[in-house]
Amino acid sequence: MSALVFAVPSKGRLMDQTAEYLAGAGLKLRKVGHDRGYRGEIEDFAGVEVAFVSASEIVAELNRGHAHLGVTGEDLVRENIANAAERVTLLQPLGFGRADVVVAVPKCWLDVDEVADIAAAAVAFRREHGRPFRVATKYVNITRRFFSARGLTDYRIVESLGATEGTPAAGTADLIVDITTTGATLAANGLKVLEDGVILRSQANLVASKMAAWPPETKKTCGRLLARLNISATAV
Amino acid sequence: MSAPPPANFEALADQARTLLAVLIAGGHEAVSPPIIQPAGVFLDVLGEALRGRTYVFSDLSGEELCLRPDLTVPTCRLYLERHPQAEEPAHYCYHGPAFRFQPAGADAAHPREFHQAGIEAFGGEDREDADARTLTLVLVALQQAGLPSWKLRMGDLGLFAALLEAAEMPERWRRRLRHQFWRPDAFRAELRRLTTSPARCGDHLPRALIEALDPDDPARAESLVAEALDKGGIEVIGVRSVAEITEGMLAIAADAKAKPLRPSTAALIEGYLEVKAYADQAPAKLRALLDRPQGRFAAAIDAFERRGALLKESGVDLSEVPFSGEFGRNVAYYSGFVFEVLALSLGAASPVAGGGRYDGLLRAVGAPRDVPAVGGAIHTERLLAVVGGKA
Repeated sequence: MSALVFAVPSKGRLMDQTAEYLAGAGLKLRKVGHDRGYRGEIEDFAGVEVAFVSASEIVAELNRGHAHLGVTGEDLVRENIANAAERVTLLQPLGFGRADVVVAVPKCWLDVDEVADIAAAAVAFRREHGRPFRVATKYVNITRRFFSARGLTDYRIVESLGATEGTPAAGTADLIVDITTTGATLAANGLKVLEDGVILRSQANLVASKMAAWPPETKKTCGRLLARLNISATAV
Repeated sequence: MSAPPPANFEALADQARTLLAVLIAGGHEAVSPPIIQPAGVFLDVLGEALRGRTYVFSDLSGEELCLRPDLTVPTCRLYLERHPQAEEPAHYCYHGPAFRFQPAGADAAHPREFHQAGIEAFGGEDREDADARTLTLVLVALQQAGLPSWKLRMGDLGLFAALLEAAEMPERWRRRLRHQFWRPDAFRAELRRLTTSPARCGDHLPRALIEALDPDDPARAESLVAEALDKGGIEVIGVRSVAEITEGMLAIAADAKAKPLRPSTAALIEGYLEVKAYADQAPAKLRALLDRPQGRFAAAIDAFERRGALLKESGVDLSEVPFSGEFGRNVAYYSGFVFEVLALSLGAASPVAGGGRYDGLLRAVGAPRDVPAVGGAIHTERLLAVVGGKA
């Protein structure tokens, strides 16, 4: 039938916090079948099929229209969907999973305090080292859009899938774009956030897909679910 | 996303033959550079912004490649393969596919795959002559392909560079303005900042150090910066040296002590960007900007005038061609003459042809020095839509 597919994080803190959030509205997630399965339902709430998937996969499911609703970070939505506004709706920030996506440079760069300073430093850097600055990040698209809006062109992205903060000290990158919650890890690695370097204040969001099929029955189920969560349903 | 309608293959092929015949008869050798190109070259020239509009991918060996987003850079590479020293002039023409990702979705006016027919002229020392010949040949090709009328627009980025030289200010400010030129809002903001308070006012900048630095004593500056880092317990990490950081600090210190840009200088620059005139009347308007234009700016106006005269001799009427000081502000590699050909039925967002001078591009692609270069390309699907009566 036309069940509402609701994708929730399958592991880690984000899974626990999502469960807590739903429990606050009296909604309890339950796995269906064996304990390690990836399908579930909401107890005493008909018409919803819960899919347990990783947070980044949730974005892909929403983008493809395989899920109607999902809980995932805004950073992942902005990074992984090129024209996000046309493909998904961010219904509600959920107050957990907070992380800022920031531009950070070595603290010893006393002359670089704003994003615009990177461009000036890049000219001298290219002259001395014969290459542009390398920017380590897993947020390739967010970085590109942010720098391009600020006219910074002379840099190269180095994709980094872990321990990004360590890359400037290791010499594999010159600066980074990464998530931070307290800034402590950045500081421990000799880095500082630029004054105008906060690209996105991200947190977990309840997200609806515009790409999924929304027959009346599914829409109705969604309306009931959102009402329980105290979210205005007009956005869907 | 709706798929683009199937192209009229035979009509396109016919049109391509006509266009190429004209370009070859115009003295250009037909070449066919590879469709798959190393992404690194394009990233060097166009920056990471390229990834936003281009199909970039890694092959199984891990090499980063792209489908060419236009044929200019591939033709430059082909030239340098044949002439690594870029010592010989060359005239090439081509017809072939190019590919662009369309973030808002592909449609008939903005296909992800389209064909370009065009020319590139490398090493011509007489720049105005090469500019005029390029535009004239593109127009002849369009005419031969059946385009009955068009609207031409032109600009000249060399004029702006020369004006900036003439304006009195530190070289580092010129570099900043040149850098921001491509983004009008940021450019205006930078100009305003230089005119009001060039000193940086960030809260985190080390005030005392900036006070202590003497722009005329760089040797002592480096030890002052090293001292400040040491005192602050800041470890020097990364590839950038203390000498480089000092260079940046000295620029900040110099700005802190600099007198603002004179309002008359800012007005001159703004005045230039606001110049709008028909191309044959533009030189007079440009000369009126300065009491007595000298040096490079005067030479750039003379060059503009001479190019206009050469175009007129080839039968291109400039009396209704709009010139704007701002025109050409969107493609970062153009360095001089720029033009666009519009078909009345397609509108300004979809020119049927365009091109210009890009004297710095060959060097960026690997030539040992700047090489004079000018080119132009025709968007063949758009042209066919116009002459075939579909637009």
